[in-house]
Amino acid sequence: MSDVIEPGLDLQERQNRFVSQHFRRIFVQIYHLVQNVADAQDLTQEAFIKALQHQEQLKDEQKAAHWLSRIATNTAIDFLRRSGRATFCELDAAPESHSESPEAILLRSEHREYLEDGLRLLSARERAALILRDVEGLPAEEVAARLNCSKATVRSHIANGRTKFRRYMERRKR
Amino acid sequence: MRHPNQAILALHAGGDLGPIRSWWMAKHLARCAECRDEVTEYNEMRELLPELAELPEISWNRMAAEIKANVRLGLEAGECVRPVEMPLHRASLKGWRAAVALASVIVMVGGCLVLERPAPQVVHAAETAVESTREGIEWQAGDGHILGLMNGGAQKAVYTLDAQGSMGARYIDPVTGSITVNTVSYAQ
Repeated sequence: MSDVIEPGLDLQERQNRFVSQHFRRIFVQIYHLVQNVADAQDLTQEAFIKALQHQEQLKDEQKAAHWLSRIATNTAIDFLRRSGRATFCELDAAPESHSESPEAILLRSEHREYLEDGLRLLSARERAALILRDVEGLPAEEVAARLNCSKATVRSHIANGRTKFRRYMERRKR
Repeated sequence: MRHPNQAILALHAGGDLGPIRSWWMAKHLARCAECRDEVTEYNEMRELLPELAELPEISWNRMAAEIKANVRLGLEAGECVRPVEMPLHRASLKGWRAAVALASVIVMVGGCLVLERPAPQVVHAAETAVESTREGIEWQAGDGHILGLMNGGAQKAVYTLDAQGSMGARYIDPVTGSITVNTVSYAQ
């Protein structure tokens, strides 16, 4: 059992603490990629199961967090490849604020749908690279590490993602 | 004027070009309105993307409980289907266990070498036989040749056989009346 998962505790308790410590960050990361709460929750569970089945690889806390993020990204990319589609946020699950009017909620939902339509046009890796770089704001080196590829490849994915997304926006304007 | 391609423009908008390319792009954009507009559009697009980071309202406590329960279930299910593995510390070869294992391997390899070594080919020489007959001693070679040492018609011949591989015949020669001793050695 890894030191990261507090060795003094019972195995199950340690695993629960590990999940509690990281699940929110991992969920958000996956949600940004798949844009659907239910799918993101399923994939978060899947990522934790994969990580805890190989927890001997967790050497220290920083590496564990990074490793978990990579597992999460790969799990989400696999899902996007398998499903071959982008998933939509339902209207009632859309981001909302209690101070917003129904019209504002509807507009927000439509705008989000518009953006998600654009993401659908990208390959799983282009989408992941674009989200990690332009939504999460990670540097290209970190995106490359997450996607387990070279910086040159990541730049290519980012450039393709931005170009396709921009063309999509131009088409929608017409 | 040579314009950069769309990939370069897209990367420049996000600050993802190396320093030399960035410098070249800045120089180019200073005198190319067309490319400046392109970069502006990429920037406008990039400004929209962070909206995708917004999360819906989520009950984090409920989600945490569900995720923990499902992770537990998943790990237990994984344990059920995982093949039985020898714990590493028990399987490790240390001290006398290593010596016994090494000796066993040596014996096994040695045995295999001995068993695998081609056995010397035994050439069965054709049998040679020496026997007494009524006429004398007869020596028969493996190839079928027969050599006979005749008694010359002696009525009473005494044959002897010794452990050194020879056969002898003792008799009274009917022509000379002398006691005659013939010995045939057939040892290899």
